[in-house]
Amino acid sequence: MMIYELKKIFVKRSGKIAVLLLLLLLGLTSYFAVCDVKYINEQGQAEKGFSAVRMLRQARKEWEGELTEERLAKVIEENSRINATPEFNSDDVQMQDIAYGWKQGIYDIRAMLVRSFGKFREYDYYLADRLEPEDASKFYDNRVLQLEEWLDGEAKDTFSEEEKAFLIDRYKNIETPFYYDYFAGWDALFEFFPTVIMITVLILGFLAAGIFSGEFQMKTDAIFFSSYHGRGRASVAKLGAGFLMVTAVYWVMVLLYTGIVLGYLGADGAGLLIQTSGRGWKSFYNITNWQEYLLIVFGGYLGSLFMLLLVMLVSAKFRSATLAVMVPFILIFLPAFLQSFPYVIVSKICALLPDQLLQMNLAVCYFSLYQIGGKVVGAVPILMVIYLLLVLLLCPVIYQVYRRAEVR
Amino acid sequence: MELRIENLTKDFQGIRAVNGITCTMEKGVYGLLGVNGAGKTTLMRMLCTLLHPTEGRIYYNGADIFEMGADYRKVLGYLPQEFGYYPDFTVKDYLLYIASIKGVSRAAASRKVMMMLDKVGLSKVKNRKMRKLSGGMKRRVGIAQAMLNDPEILILDEPTAGLDPSERIRFRNLISELARERLVILSTHIVSDIEYIANEILLMKEGEILHAGTLKEVTEKVEEKVFCLTVPLKEADYYMKNYKVVNIRTGEGMAHMRMLAMESPHPAATEDDLTLEDVFLHYFGEKGGEEDDDL
Repeated sequence: MMIYELKKIFVKRSGKIAVLLLLLLLGLTSYFAVCDVKYINEQGQAEKGFSAVRMLRQARKEWEGELTEERLAKVIEENSRINATPEFNSDDVQMQDIAYGWKQGIYDIRAMLVRSFGKFREYDYYLADRLEPEDASKFYDNRVLQLEEWLDGEAKDTFSEEEKAFLIDRYKNIETPFYYDYFAGWDALFEFFPTVIMITVLILGFLAAGIFSGEFQMKTDAIFFSSYHGRGRASVAKLGAGFLMVTAVYWVMVLLYTGIVLGYLGADGAGLLIQTSGRGWKSFYNITNWQEYLLIVFGGYLGSLFMLLLVMLVSAKFRSATLAVMVPFILIFLPAFLQSFPYVIVSKICALLPDQLLQMNLAVCYFSLYQIGGKVVGAVPILMVIYLLLVLLLCPVIYQVYRRAEVR
Repeated sequence: MELRIENLTKDFQGIRAVNGITCTMEKGVYGLLGVNGAGKTTLMRMLCTLLHPTEGRIYYNGADIFEMGADYRKVLGYLPQEFGYYPDFTVKDYLLYIASIKGVSRAAASRKVMMMLDKVGLSKVKNRKMRKLSGGMKRRVGIAQAMLNDPEILILDEPTAGLDPSERIRFRNLISELARERLVILSTHIVSDIEYIANEILLMKEGEILHAGTLKEVTEKVEEKVFCLTVPLKEADYYMKNYKVVNIRTGEGMAHMRMLAMESPHPAATEDDLTLEDVFLHYFGEKGGEEDDDL
């Protein structure tokens, strides 16, 4: 039965177009993810393509290892050494580019120094150029100090004392020294992941919208519901087909995207803490790139399942594919509008909306905190629990709504 | 086998579509005859468990069909008035799918589908997409799907609507053949369909069954007689206004009329046997069914 339900979806021209569109958009997104990586050669010219990736990887691999005080001091020294070269100080742009090329190996670590020594919500690229090797000893302490300063100042009224203590505790409890390695693959992968997942959800929404309402629209409902399994296994088969379609398409998209990006840029740096990257520096989730990847793909899967089950519920209840197809659009784009309201409560609510599951790479960077039974918890675990329960709840609800349908 | 309907009533937002119907049906063809809006489709949908009655019950062999649920639907075959299908499925795939939701085992389904395709004369188009079939072919697929589970109760709602005369004859013969072993409930407003194949006729009007019985019994209940009369064309208007004219055929300045009347309308009129069409006109009049088309 489930095979026929899937056939109903994919045998239609719209189903085939949707699959083609998905693959096309996946190709485009993957291209954008990998095409940003460039390498500046000895002549100061930007190279792109696979050889550039190889060269960049080689340059950064030279700095692989624990970011101890000595190594950080070495990075500051190297930065200063390059800054003292005639090329760096030249007025000729090409000369400056040559000098920039020499900094490619230390680029990521240099960026971490900027974040550590800068203000909590500022990024001064040239700050690293003012550092001395002896400053390296303050690198890890600075991260905590900047947070404390921000919590006592700008964010004084945003968090409760418990929440502030929680954040400081998480910052202090991170394992140091950080380990550094080339991680451009993960960086690029995470940057475009929400796009891939959202495109998948929106297009799957079109396909899922017709699973239940299709019987009413095609006037096949009378035969369907008067059949032996119509109000039983056949309805379950529809749900199963929806589940299978979402699962299969989602994972094919996610794994293809992962394969293309990491295959091209390399999967080095899976075990690095996300705080070694610019996007994860402030995160209070002390996790590795690999763990963030798992959060992104499983969170995305849960979010996709929830949104598409909701599509199916609307489709079953209101017998309208048009109405159902609007659900993911509303769920994805409405929070962006809500976030324009400058209230803490609105932010707290927005951080628990299902669109967050589709962009876990951002969710792990936000300071969204909740107090449950005197315990402070981040939004990520709450999102996972709430939407897992909702997904489990939606399945029987859809089944019950559909199997009780009357045909007038 | 017995299908018993007790005081069956269905209201739609204040409109009573079916009003306290009570009857019992056994093996054979039952023709449900009534104008559009008489409540035939609503009654059939309740018999198929697609609608819950507002009042009353339906029993199959003594058990309430809504309580039986799937067990009742297992013995049911239904061809709705508006036969919906999956346009991109082939005929074979469509029937295999319906076989699966009707609980026909996978092993038996292929054999059963081929048998039904053979029976309805569609074996040659089994791999053709449903949307490419003619109207008559689609109806034949409709009857094939209804028969896939070898149902004890076969409910056909306007099965011959939209078919050309030869398709209709073919369809009637097929239904007669299928009716030997089961209870067939056939709804139509095409009188000749019922006249030819129904063992028992149920005349339905405004949600109620006016009369039920064999063709002979139903016609006997009509007090009016049927008369044939040929008059000059200019006199035809008089009879049209004052009598229930079943049929009028004009030619060579004359009107050959068939009408219902208690007494002979003219000394030259000859009395004829009542047909079901005459009965239909007697009960429903010429304009019956112009409203409430969906009930």
